[in-house]
Amino acid sequence: MERDTLEVDVLIVGGGPAGLSAALRLAALQRRDGGEPLAVAVLEKSRQSGSHMLSGAVLDPSALDELLPDWKTRGAPVETLVRDERIYYLTERSQLRSPYTPPGLRNHGNYIISLNRFVRWLSEQAEADGADIFTGFAGTEVLYEGDRVVGVRTGDRGIDKHGERKGTFEPGVDIKAAVTIFADGVRGNLTKTLIRKLGLDGPTPQTYAIGIKELWEIPPDRVPPGRVVHTMGYPLRNEEFGGGFIYALPKGRLALGFVVGLDYRDPLFDPHMAFQRFKQHPLVSAMLAGGQMTRYGAKALPEGGWHAIPRCHVDGALIIGDAAGFMNSMRLKGIHLAMKSGICAADTAFDAVRAGDVSVSKLATFQRLVNGGSLRRELYPVRNVHQAFGAGLFAGGACFVLAPLTGGWWPRGLLSNEAGHERMTRLARYYRTERPDPDDASNAVKVDRTVTFDKLTNVHYSGTRHDEDQPVHLLVADTDVCRTRCREEYGNPCVRFCPAHVYEMVDDGTGNGRRLQINASNCVHCKTCDIMDPYQIIDWVPPEGGGGPEYEGM
Amino acid sequence: MKIAVCVKQVVTREWPLRVDDTRTWVQDRDASFEMNEPDAYALEEALRLKEQHGGEVVVCSAGPARVAQVIREALARGADRAIRVESDALAAADSGMVAEALAAAIRDEAFDLVLTGLQSDDQGFAQTGVVLAELLGIPHATIIMEVQVADGGLRVKRELEGGWFQWVSMRSPALLTIQSGINQLRYATLRGIMAAKKKEVRVVEPPADLAPHHEILELYVPEKGKQTRLIEGSPAEAAKELVRVLREEARVI
Repeated sequence: MERDTLEVDVLIVGGGPAGLSAALRLAALQRRDGGEPLAVAVLEKSRQSGSHMLSGAVLDPSALDELLPDWKTRGAPVETLVRDERIYYLTERSQLRSPYTPPGLRNHGNYIISLNRFVRWLSEQAEADGADIFTGFAGTEVLYEGDRVVGVRTGDRGIDKHGERKGTFEPGVDIKAAVTIFADGVRGNLTKTLIRKLGLDGPTPQTYAIGIKELWEIPPDRVPPGRVVHTMGYPLRNEEFGGGFIYALPKGRLALGFVVGLDYRDPLFDPHMAFQRFKQHPLVSAMLAGGQMTRYGAKALPEGGWHAIPRCHVDGALIIGDAAGFMNSMRLKGIHLAMKSGICAADTAFDAVRAGDVSVSKLATFQRLVNGGSLRRELYPVRNVHQAFGAGLFAGGACFVLAPLTGGWWPRGLLSNEAGHERMTRLARYYRTERPDPDDASNAVKVDRTVTFDKLTNVHYSGTRHDEDQPVHLLVADTDVCRTRCREEYGNPCVRFCPAHVYEMVDDGTGNGRRLQINASNCVHCKTCDIMDPYQIIDWVPPEGGGGPEYEGM
Repeated sequence: MKIAVCVKQVVTREWPLRVDDTRTWVQDRDASFEMNEPDAYALEEALRLKEQHGGEVVVCSAGPARVAQVIREALARGADRAIRVESDALAAADSGMVAEALAAAIRDEAFDLVLTGLQSDDQGFAQTGVVLAELLGIPHATIIMEVQVADGGLRVKRELEGGWFQWVSMRSPALLTIQSGINQLRYATLRGIMAAKKKEVRVVEPPADLAPHHEILELYVPEKGKQTRLIEGSPAEAAKELVRVLREEARVI
């Protein structure tokens, strides 16, 4: 097969805030130093820049100030200053407002933004600066020479669901680069293989959460723009980590969502259902009444913090952003850290390419920049918070509140050190004498289609779209496990943790059993299944480039 | 052969549609856009004709600045250059107005062939191509399923009702409105995307006297009517009656 090869100086895999910040910084360094321009390419699997971006989002503008000091005159879609902050502890029917805002949650000087819009704008800036931004192309394979990364192969396009070539078949391209920067996001499909192959894991396993979000339009005078609300408590129990957020944008636009740690114990727990219960709470439903849901989406986020960050520099490559886990779960923020890590990577890569030395020792500059700058300064003091939450809400809360006093120190023995999926408990152990039926829907939230929605309706509002005639991109190593062991042991939790109704246990036709059906075209690329499957037999690989959600305005 | 392809930017099919405050158009403030589907097939057909017969493919679009998105996509797929008529007044304009804007922009180029999609995914009048042909003073044929180039003219296959087709011979220059699905759309390649950045895009203003030919009075979501009708009789009779009702009254089969 004829396979085209493209050669560039720096290849950035992933056009999110991290990757685009790297591209913009490379352009700035180029302007500063002059000389032969570096060829910079950005690969992005979504159809358009920003389409797969999902976050709350409250932006700390510090990295943006550093990257593009004139962002205001350039028309950045960063407009809604945070004016008012509230933290509530919810019980089923009422709420208690916290009189105190922990320093980590103070958002003075921060902005409520649409990450989709912001990233699209970053992409326009990077393109104007000369970067080639290839949207609709997924990286599917890391190219190595020995243990040195030399580039990435993009996915073949035009393969039918049986794996045969269609008339439009277009083979993937090998993009060779002196330095490859992996910015493929939370649980990035390439970063995952890179970490495994080269053994880059950090001291503790990465842990994750899933965030589910909706955009609403409500009467414009109901919630003042710039209000930020965070909730704890209901509908979660002590054993689950997470909470709700409500961010008010101008013109009656409301971003609200729910984040749950992907380390919950109860195999029957359903994050989407928790989100529906959150919306039914009087505090929230009063805001939503008479409004309309306009967008839906979900995305995992890395919450492991400092100790879960892998080694980010190898021969020929760097790892940045959510792919590496640069996210502050105490401040619920990662965009500025992703951008900052992109800046550090660009500084490192620029020097390395110019010096003609892209070895691991040269690229270790990245580690020094991270350690010597704002990334470590922000992440190290809160390094233990999420792990402490693993030991329960109160331990976590204590660590969270005390972090500024203790410098983040917390007794080692009180920290949880498991990967999230390992904490999921078997039905028999969790429910002991009860024998809950995993298919029993009697406890489910009643869907009214005004405030609460079923997953399928929600998926429609994610705008997700995939060519139907392509191989399934969720590779389940052994579907026998689903209908036998998993059904018995965990009651098929994939059906619940997937927020897009991708996994379904359907009648197998024999009349007495069920089999797994994968509705792959519903997938919103959140990566939860790859993370949370208790047997770790689900592998999320990119579908044909251009497929996926359309998070316009999210 | 010098071919013009006229493409329209429309709201993506996945966008949950809502009526806007004026009640005459859809809420598209936060919408995402894409190339009108039949226009994508028209573009593909033009690229194939160029590959067989040589020449040039020029993509044309009329609308607000945001239509640059579909122009770029067309250039990345292989169109050689572009003409973009820019005006906010063309955002949700009627067929006549769009045709006038396009005609003014392409008249002087003397194209051998002008292709458009059969109809737009949003308004669906299937008129823009036809009116454009009239304004350019060239013959047209609609609902085209196949295009053959034959000594100085064209042989084209039209889709009729009920599985029937019709072959038409016509001279060129001519305008054809292309049906969806007549070919297989190619992917934009990495090299195509890189090349697209260097291709010429001529931005022109629409004629000063451009004015709407019709006015949308109201746009509304069809009201859901619920009517249940029980068909009595034995299963065989009931089935027969059901088919009759579906065919003759509901006219869905």
